[in-house]
Amino acid sequence: MDDRAKALVESKDPIRGIWAYVLAGPDSPRVTVYDRVVTSLSRVMMFLILAGVFVTFFEVVMRYMFASPTLWVNELTLWLGSIVYLAAGLYTMQRRAHIRITAVYDIVSPNVRLFFDYLAIFVLVVYAVLMVIGGYDVAWEAFITWERLGTIFDPPVPATMKPLVLIITCLVALGAVNNLLVDWYGRGTRNPDWAEADHNEGVAGLVDSKTTEESKPGQKHR
Amino acid sequence: MKSIHLPIAFFALTVAIALVVPLVLLGDFRADLGVGTLSLLLLVGIFILLVAGVPLGFATGFLGAIIIWLNFGEPGLGLVMQRVYDLVVTHAIIAVPFFIVMASLLERSGIAKDMYDALNVAMGKTRGGVAIVTTVMAVIMAAMSGIIGGEIVLLGLVALPQMLRLGYNKHLAIGTICAGGSLGTMIPPSVVLIIYGLVTETSITKLFTASFIPGLMLAGTYILYIVIRTRLNPSLAPLPEESGVDVEQLDVNSRMELVLNLTPFVIGFACAVVVSFLGFGRTEQIATLIFSSATTALLLVAWLQRTDDYPIAKGLLPPLIVVDLVLGSIYGGVTGYAEAAAMGVVASLLLIWVRSELSTVMVLEGLEQTFRSVGTILWVTFGATVLAGAFSLSGGNRFVANAIFGLDVAPIVIILVMMCIFFILGMFMDWIGIVLLTMPVFMPIVKQLGYDPIWFGILFSVNMQIAFLTPPFGSAAFYLKSVAPPEIDLVTIYRSFGPFILLQAMILAVLVAFPQISLFLVR
Repeated sequence: MDDRAKALVESKDPIRGIWAYVLAGPDSPRVTVYDRVVTSLSRVMMFLILAGVFVTFFEVVMRYMFASPTLWVNELTLWLGSIVYLAAGLYTMQRRAHIRITAVYDIVSPNVRLFFDYLAIFVLVVYAVLMVIGGYDVAWEAFITWERLGTIFDPPVPATMKPLVLIITCLVALGAVNNLLVDWYGRGTRNPDWAEADHNEGVAGLVDSKTTEESKPGQKHR
Repeated sequence: MKSIHLPIAFFALTVAIALVVPLVLLGDFRADLGVGTLSLLLLVGIFILLVAGVPLGFATGFLGAIIIWLNFGEPGLGLVMQRVYDLVVTHAIIAVPFFIVMASLLERSGIAKDMYDALNVAMGKTRGGVAIVTTVMAVIMAAMSGIIGGEIVLLGLVALPQMLRLGYNKHLAIGTICAGGSLGTMIPPSVVLIIYGLVTETSITKLFTASFIPGLMLAGTYILYIVIRTRLNPSLAPLPEESGVDVEQLDVNSRMELVLNLTPFVIGFACAVVVSFLGFGRTEQIATLIFSSATTALLLVAWLQRTDDYPIAKGLLPPLIVVDLVLGSIYGGVTGYAEAAAMGVVASLLLIWVRSELSTVMVLEGLEQTFRSVGTILWVTFGATVLAGAFSLSGGNRFVANAIFGLDVAPIVIILVMMCIFFILGMFMDWIGIVLLTMPVFMPIVKQLGYDPIWFGILFSVNMQIAFLTPPFGSAAFYLKSVAPPEIDLVTIYRSFGPFILLQAMILAVLVAFPQISLFLVR
């Protein structure tokens, strides 16, 4: 979160603060419509993690304090969780934080780097296309028949998640194209709030990653 | 510059085209590739894509989809979505975001700093004391979170300046911080073990039980090493009076501190006894012990915020609550690890709230960090599950296994070779990549040789401890570098790791030689 968003959130009460944060726009130098939509959506989705935590906690309390375990908590957390895992990939793509080995990428010349970026997009698009070719019928079928889990609580997990796997994989591929356009061809509007100073914190991610976080290839030579 | 690298680019382009053009032109094209050719193509393909900086999760997923297409044509492609979908709706993964959210909330609070101060008051005045305190704190923090990064950064912020100020040998200080900070993936709850359990279909609770003693052995070896080295050469770790640094003296009422630290557990135990007289079973007794001690401790922490008299209890009780709740409920069989993680998050939120540190920004930042970490970890898993499915369906696993059994060497040699492969991969890759790329191939072999997958998981996580420290891409060094004073460069950091890598290798050898150390608690 950048300093401006922080100040904005701190100046308001929690609910308005969270809303302001959702609308604040991504924390990057150039912003396209895609970036805005993904960021706002992800900032809403983040709260599903907290929802999962509280629902699971509620289940433990019900089981041990009131001896009446619930039937729906496990499946609800399963559903919430699966949405979070998929949506998180979209956000990670927007932040350019997917795990990759940048040792060679960082030392080659810009031309080769551009070629590598095209190669990455090619790989991702082919992956998404092959996945859709193979999974389209199954996903459509699950959605049309509103396939459920078949348990007592019976949430429509297959009906929603099968199409969502395809949709989000395609959106991630679109995100890769978007990142390429932003990083190399200067697409998107300049973000007036973005300051280089906010981004000198070094490696701040929690993932035990050997790759530098959020490398912005286009930035070095724009 | 350009002219040197252009050939590489053309080479990669040629290979990419060579891979794909037949597919596009021939549509439902099925190559009757031998499994050997396939495995070789796979190795070459993955190497090229990874070197080109293609994100790991997409490179593996792409290759998996291509293999399926080559072998089974269009009808087989349904497997791609099916594998990802099956993984997405696995309930066990929910523990990953829960543990990460817990860690990122605790890391933003002052709990770690207070714990460090408390431990320092308790044992900082002995020879090498601050280094020992750092290791002990690393163990407690490891028992609170399952991921390293944040832990090393925190120790680097809190412990490194003090050790340098006291005139500790900087190699000793840096090595202690990074080796100790990496314990987070070894001592449960650990995200590495969760992912390992998911990939190899091993019981995660058993993995957590088995890894406890090896984790403590590692920490114990570090402490022993610090004690021995500083005894042999006292100039490595001067006492505060020797280095002439003023250390603020605190009057500690040690008896009262002890009483305060023990009260929650005495009360918890009393409640458990009452519950047992009421005729409840063993699980309910343990649950009562855990919940009532945690509640009492939380109330005590709230009270301790108003007074400065008991720094040790104030610093130690908060981490004890989290460890008590999370590890207590897992080991006591009260809840699964996912529910334990959820309780850990709620406990952390309550703790931060009674310490009046809770703010909207903090929660939002913690969630954002979690969201991003979940995306990076799980999307690699998605791609790898596609590749693993494709490879084993094409008979690749059997091929590799047969090749290895054909070598006709002692089983333990195969295990040792696998350890060497982990070590070499560990120098260049993250744990997540290693576990996802190697386990689908290794695990059937390990099982067929008659070894316990749980034992192998422990060996793997010790290996990953080493991987965090080995140059050129040991991530521990980068985390420490991001918070260390500028005069400490990466070379210094890596040089400090030497003795600790040897210690880890020693423990690894002991664990290979004596599987019962890892397994006697599980059986």
